[in-house]
Amino acid sequence: MTIAPPLPVRRAVSRSIALGVVATAAMALAGVLAGPAAADATDDFPIPHRMIITTCDTEQYMAAARDTSPMYFERYMIDRSKRPADVQQQAFGRIHWFFSLDPVARRQYSEDTATNVYYENVATHWGNWAKLFFNNKGVVAKATDVCTNYPRGDISVWDWPVTP
Amino acid sequence: MRSTKIVTWLVQAASLAMTAACFAAPAHADVDTDFANQLHVYGIYGPRDENAWLAKITCKRLTTQVDEDAFASARFLKTNLARTTSTQQVWQFLGAAVDAYCPEQTPTLHAAANATAETTTRERG
Repeated sequence: MTIAPPLPVRRAVSRSIALGVVATAAMALAGVLAGPAAADATDDFPIPHRMIITTCDTEQYMAAARDTSPMYFERYMIDRSKRPADVQQQAFGRIHWFFSLDPVARRQYSEDTATNVYYENVATHWGNWAKLFFNNKGVVAKATDVCTNYPRGDISVWDWPVTP
Repeated sequence: MRSTKIVTWLVQAASLAMTAACFAAPAHADVDTDFANQLHVYGIYGPRDENAWLAKITCKRLTTQVDEDAFASARFLKTNLARTTSTQQVWQFLGAAVDAYCPEQTPTLHAAANATAETTTRERG
C-alpha cells in the first residue's frame, strides 16, 4: 500500500511542474522568434567599428598607427618579419582586400571570422596576421582619427627596419 | 619669447649629447638605466622599458628619415609621451634619447637649434 503525500505537498509539486512547462515553452518560443545570431550588438567585435567605417586605405592607416601607436606598430612589424615571405605576401594581399570592401561587407567578414574560426585562411598560417588592424580598439581609434592626413597607397610604410 | 625658449632647450639638449659623447665613461652598466635616470632628472617618469623603446624608435625614425628633422621628432614624442609632458620635457627627452641611443644624430639637434635661432633673430630684427 502506497502512502500518498499530504495535500499541500501535492499542490506544491503540481505548481512547480506547471511553472516548468510554462518556462520551457517560453524559451522555445523565444528561440523561434529570435533573429539570426549576431557576433556583437555594438559592431565592435571582433573588428572594431572604426575599422569597418574608415575611408582610409591600408597604407594611410598603417602610417597613422606607426605615428600614434609606435610600439604596437613595431611589435607587429617584428612579428611579420619572422614569417615566411609567402605568408607575409598573403597577409599583405588579404588586408588590401579587406580595405577594398565596403562597410557592410567588412561587417559581414567580421561576423564570419567571429563565428567560424577557420574562415580566415591567412590566420591558419599566421594567427596575428591582422593584429595591427583588428585587435585593439584603442590603436584603431587613434589611427583612424588622423589617417586621412597621410598619403594614399604609399607602400614605403611597409619598409620598417626591425633589426636593432 | 617662445622661440627663445625652444632655442634654449635645443641648445641644452644638443650640449647634453655632445658633453656625454666627450666625457662618456668607458663602460655603461646599462644604457636603458642611464637613460631612465636622465629622464628622472627632467621629471619624466613612466615605465622604464617603454621610455627606452620609445627613444629607440625615435632614433630609428630619424635614421630612416620618417622624421625629417628634430621638430618632427618632437611632434612624434609629444603625441606619444604622457599628456602631462611639457614642451620643455619633450625636447629634454629627445636630447637624452639622441645622447643614449643615436649620438650620430646630434647634428640634427644642432640644425634645429640653429634654425630656431635664425628665426628668432629675424623676428627681432
